[in-house]
Amino acid sequence: MLRSLRYGEADRILHLYTEHRGRIAAIAKGVRRARSRFGGRLEPFTRVALVLHEGRSELLTVTAADTVAPHRRLRERAASLDAAARACDAVARLFETADPHPPVYHLLCHELALLDADPGAATHANQLAFRLKLLLAAGLAPQLAACARCGEREHLSAFSGAEGGVVCTACEGAGFPLSEEAHAFMSEALGRPLRDAPQASDRALRQAERAIAETAEHHAHVRLRAAVP
Amino acid sequence: MNAPPIQRLVTELAKLPGIGNRTAQRLAFHILRADPQEAYALADAIREVKERIGLCEVCFNLAEGPRCRICLDERRDPSIICVVEEPNDVIPIERTHEFPGRYHVLGGALSPIDGVDPEDLKIAQLYARVAEGGIREVVLATNPTTTGEATALHIAEGLRERAPDVTVTRLASGLPVGADLEYADEVTLGRAFAGRRAV
Repeated sequence: MLRSLRYGEADRILHLYTEHRGRIAAIAKGVRRARSRFGGRLEPFTRVALVLHEGRSELLTVTAADTVAPHRRLRERAASLDAAARACDAVARLFETADPHPPVYHLLCHELALLDADPGAATHANQLAFRLKLLLAAGLAPQLAACARCGEREHLSAFSGAEGGVVCTACEGAGFPLSEEAHAFMSEALGRPLRDAPQASDRALRQAERAIAETAEHHAHVRLRAAVP
Repeated sequence: MNAPPIQRLVTELAKLPGIGNRTAQRLAFHILRADPQEAYALADAIREVKERIGLCEVCFNLAEGPRCRICLDERRDPSIICVVEEPNDVIPIERTHEFPGRYHVLGGALSPIDGVDPEDLKIAQLYARVAEGGIREVVLATNPTTTGEATALHIAEGLRERAPDVTVTRLASGLPVGADLEYADEVTLGRAFAGRRAV
């Protein structure tokens, strides 16, 4: 469950990301009533198995719900809640169609499970590692091994969203300065599992976030929200 | 087709929550058939409520005048504040007759993703009320939803820093009275277990 919006007297519109149908919207009738049979199963960040009725309207209707992973501990920590909301928002923005992307679904499941299990996981570095992996799943991973403009493998000192990756000193005019630390962070974050996301200084993380944001903006035409409050 | 004044009434009624076009049309024809005094009374009531009802300057509940009836009531315990999201959340709590204190209405719940930040709610005003002194407990009664929980956690953290002597409590979550355990969802049942008490 990515998010939910109040609708009518006691209903909610749910934004869901599914393994086989991509992003879909559904209505859960009466879910806001205290005696709703869905109870707390349809809260954002919960992993659920749903039975959906497909009628004539664009919205599917939830007819049954079973919890797969409630992520209860995540809801007891403000930082984890915020990180989960930002992760779900990034998925919703980058993958807004009904095309299935199973790796994105599994990546989000892993991220929510990690935020639930580990109170220390709600970090800037984790959010950026998650976003980099989302870009990879979308086929938009930035070019980090060589200059995205001329192919040079040395003196990579800047990043260009328009070129889609790091650029060398000679091509630097096309981008903004990217420190070695930020470059290393991005490369390692892409290669490691989410739970082992590398750490970096605040400055390096800010540069990495800008690189991710510019890549999403130039190539997916999506403006991502800030990765941390 | 309806005459323009009727159509205007139908359009306005259809803007109300839970009222579709067909219901709006039925209501419009009911108003047309009704005694003129009855129809004018409805119009006057709408006008009056818009002109005379505002927000209480202390708790931001709905009030006729600068302060609401609860804030003016000397019998209410001023040392306990119950924090709710919206004015209509006060009504069910009042129906319980269990809460002797006063309220603070936030005007919504935190949702940074939807652009609702702490500055958009009456959180600073709550901190100011607590800072004035005389408060011993703040009950966080935001909705047991994700945004409600996030709001409660944010306020609890803010109060811990600003007023460590004030007890901050959260409404318990659990099973609705009269419901079968069999149908309880995992989150609610898990919380009911976490919040179990000795009998």
